[in-house]
Amino acid sequence: MTIVPNRLGVKFNLKREPALAAADIVPIFQRWIQEHTVDGMLIDVIDYKHVPEGPGVILIADEGDYAFDFSDGQIGLHYIRKRNLPGDMAGALILAFRLALGAALCLESEAPGDIDFDFSHAKISFLDRQNYRNEPARFAAAQDELSAILADIYGGDVALERAYDDPRFSFALRVSAQTEGVDGQKLLARLSARAVSVQ
Amino acid sequence: MSTWKEELADQIPAEMGNLIDTFEAQIELRKQGKLDEKVFAEQRLRKGAYGQRYDNGQRHDGVRTRELSYPSGELVKGPDTLWDAPGMQRIKIPYGGLTAEQLEVLSELADEYADGILHITTRQDIQLHYVHIDDTPDLMRRLAAVDITTQEACGNSVRNITACTLAGVCHDEVFDVSPYADAMMRFLLDHDDVQDFGRKFKVAFSGCAGHACGLVKMHDLGLLAQTREIDGEIKRGFTVFVGGGLGTVPQQAKVLAEFATEEQLLPIAQAVSRVFARLGEKKNRNRARIKFLVSKLGIDEFRREVEEELKTVPHDERHTAYLDRLGDFTYKPAKAGMALNGTPLPDGFSDWYRTNVYHQAQSGYSTITLNTPLGDFTAMQGFQLAEIARRYVGDNIRLSVEQNIVLRWVADADLPAIYREVREIGLGDAGAGTIVDITACPGTDTCKLGIASSRGLTAELRTRLIERINLLPDAVRELKIKVSGCFNSCGQHHVADIGFFGNSRRSGNHKMPHFQVVLGGQWQENAGSYGLAVGAVPAKHIPEVLEALTNRYVAERTEDENFQTWVKNLGRKEIKAMLQPYMKLPSFEEKPEYFSDWGDSRVYTIDDIGVGECAGEVVSLFSLEIARAESAHFEALLALDDGNYPMVDQQAYKAMVLAARALVRTKYLDVGDDYGNIVNEFRSRFYDTELVYDRFAKGKFARYLFKRHDQPPAQVGEDYAHQLIDETQLFIENIHSAEQRINGVIVS
Repeated sequence: MTIVPNRLGVKFNLKREPALAAADIVPIFQRWIQEHTVDGMLIDVIDYKHVPEGPGVILIADEGDYAFDFSDGQIGLHYIRKRNLPGDMAGALILAFRLALGAALCLESEAPGDIDFDFSHAKISFLDRQNYRNEPARFAAAQDELSAILADIYGGDVALERAYDDPRFSFALRVSAQTEGVDGQKLLARLSARAVSVQ
Repeated sequence: MSTWKEELADQIPAEMGNLIDTFEAQIELRKQGKLDEKVFAEQRLRKGAYGQRYDNGQRHDGVRTRELSYPSGELVKGPDTLWDAPGMQRIKIPYGGLTAEQLEVLSELADEYADGILHITTRQDIQLHYVHIDDTPDLMRRLAAVDITTQEACGNSVRNITACTLAGVCHDEVFDVSPYADAMMRFLLDHDDVQDFGRKFKVAFSGCAGHACGLVKMHDLGLLAQTREIDGEIKRGFTVFVGGGLGTVPQQAKVLAEFATEEQLLPIAQAVSRVFARLGEKKNRNRARIKFLVSKLGIDEFRREVEEELKTVPHDERHTAYLDRLGDFTYKPAKAGMALNGTPLPDGFSDWYRTNVYHQAQSGYSTITLNTPLGDFTAMQGFQLAEIARRYVGDNIRLSVEQNIVLRWVADADLPAIYREVREIGLGDAGAGTIVDITACPGTDTCKLGIASSRGLTAELRTRLIERINLLPDAVRELKIKVSGCFNSCGQHHVADIGFFGNSRRSGNHKMPHFQVVLGGQWQENAGSYGLAVGAVPAKHIPEVLEALTNRYVAERTEDENFQTWVKNLGRKEIKAMLQPYMKLPSFEEKPEYFSDWGDSRVYTIDDIGVGECAGEVVSLFSLEIARAESAHFEALLALDDGNYPMVDQQAYKAMVLAARALVRTKYLDVGDDYGNIVNEFRSRFYDTELVYDRFAKGKFARYLFKRHDQPPAQVGEDYAHQLIDETQLFIENIHSAEQRINGVIVS
């Protein structure tokens, strides 16, 4: 189970649909590039809001992409780490969680009260079908180790379930912290203390 | 932990696997600085791995130009193209035909190596964006395992061969051109005679003359299905067009042959390729397409050259072997055809039915078009659609040049059900082929050459038009809009009723994004005529221009007057006068929003325009072929590290033969692939004549090849392997030196 996938995604959903439109995200992400608001070597902004339930608006970076994402019919901030993942699963998950969380909090600060994330729940995607086929056996093999790492991340027990049953889809898990109302800032502080390498 | 290479070894055709292994070796050689960047760039392009905007390490962020400091530093994958910069992977889908399994694999790749989006191009390819070059060999292996190639998807070679999505199901076609397009694709793929072009070469097939069909008149080589009675027998064949093209100098193709039989099809394509390789421009890429050669020679002289060349084309069983397999090319519908009969119709079905459904020539079946906005769909939609396809149509999926997905062989009785299902996954929009179904190239989103945001404008126009679609008169609803980000015409703006291509103008000290308005192009009759450029308008005025044009067209057109005729009758002067109010440039202080492009909040700049890779690098045939030899030598080195000495022998021998072949082909193009023949030709042309002799070592290095060829080892040990590796290296060096002495400076 210790194999770290080629790509690892973490998505936090919004609690409710915001007044802020997807088109409004483009200038925000463009400004983030100018001001280097989030971690990474930020490259460009690409707009896919015309695609139903798609990646929405993506801030492309060398190491990982930040998306104001509409997949699964849920609006959220999706961070996909593409390169330079730490060699151990705990390190990889902490890194991806921390960067997703950091970006989500930055987005909240752009529209306080309107953009409001649910940090008690997350979706983790393992974009690597060679090592992570979306099968029950793979989940069974990974569950204990991932639960332990995620419990450490959240500072309490978590529930895990497969996000998709279809074996063709990516191996993805829905994480639910047993504590409702997880505070994003506190979670970020917790993760920052555990972070090994940033980029 | 296994690799994709190991896991898919049994599923990848050997030839395809070799090409990918060679490319992977070239990646390593390039990283080690042992392969010239231009040679690698051309090899990369020929694998469909293209550069993207900002890959020179610079991007204007709206305030200043910023350096993008990629981790690999100075390492490049081509001139001014940084290694780690995200790239585009183009994937050839011949005539747009896909199976459900292929669609699933493409979706997996979008998920794992790109940004989750599959983009359909105007040549029926799929493009994945933001792909890292290091990921491309595995990506290609996964495609090869389902019979998809990226070979020659870009670069100076034969691009994806296109055909009408209705081929085989059309009421008006002469015959189904799909198997011929398939045969030509397989025949020309990686063919020796298509390796030395000065520029790309596009081929299309059409089944009929009247519709847009395959757009053969805008292609380098266009084949229009015909039949003719010969000796009392109806023979299939093609009218052969040559020298068409869009771009900055659009030209209509000329008729090379009024009727070529199906037996003559592949030999003619080969002869045209040989003439193009031999006489086409190589140095000036702006004049290197075959249309310039046809213009320069005149069609009669070009035809004479092709006829002469046909006499020299070596016999090849493949020229006609495919004809025996034409009968195997059949379509397997998932269900029996059945009429639509009283099933309750879902909301929106009628509008969709009117624009997105085509009743096939086969009774009880329809073809449906899935309107895919800007040609984009998600990996998730790809998986879901593959499942829908399996249940309703089987493997009868096609991609269209209008950037849509087409499902063929839908039983009519299933139309309401399939509509519900495609709508459920966001692919059920009505309006296919109408004014809302706008074609656009990538433009400034990802293309290095983009001047204005073709996709941003398209998204804006599409949104506005969808809101009003039911209010638009039929005459307007039927118009076609096509948008390119620059003059190169990837969005095919010349053949739209209303076309736009990106340019820029200066206002004060600022640049403003503009679009040139091109009117009256003809989509029908295989792109029968090209539109007129009538003036450049600020990008932000284009929606108003569109409204003004369509309103006046509706108000003034006579009954049955189509848009082309109306434009022609109105005249360029009058149209320009109509556009004049929109062409006025405000100052930055008056209207700062005019100085940002559609969908982009940055202040507009043209500083991000880079050097296009569309034309590929002009690299000599020798440089390309010797690079293959060096890749094989590198594979031998890897085998040596693994202690796999038989593999060392195999790869080193292959490397020497390929190096010899590279030299032989500078004098004798048709040497072929047979090792014995290559060695014989090398011996007689270069060794016996002492052309390959080193000043001091004389013929010693050449004899390394002869020794290995004439006396293959019974057993291969470590010492032998080391020695062979060293000899191979010396042989390759000797070939390089000889080529420079014989042919002058290597162009690289």
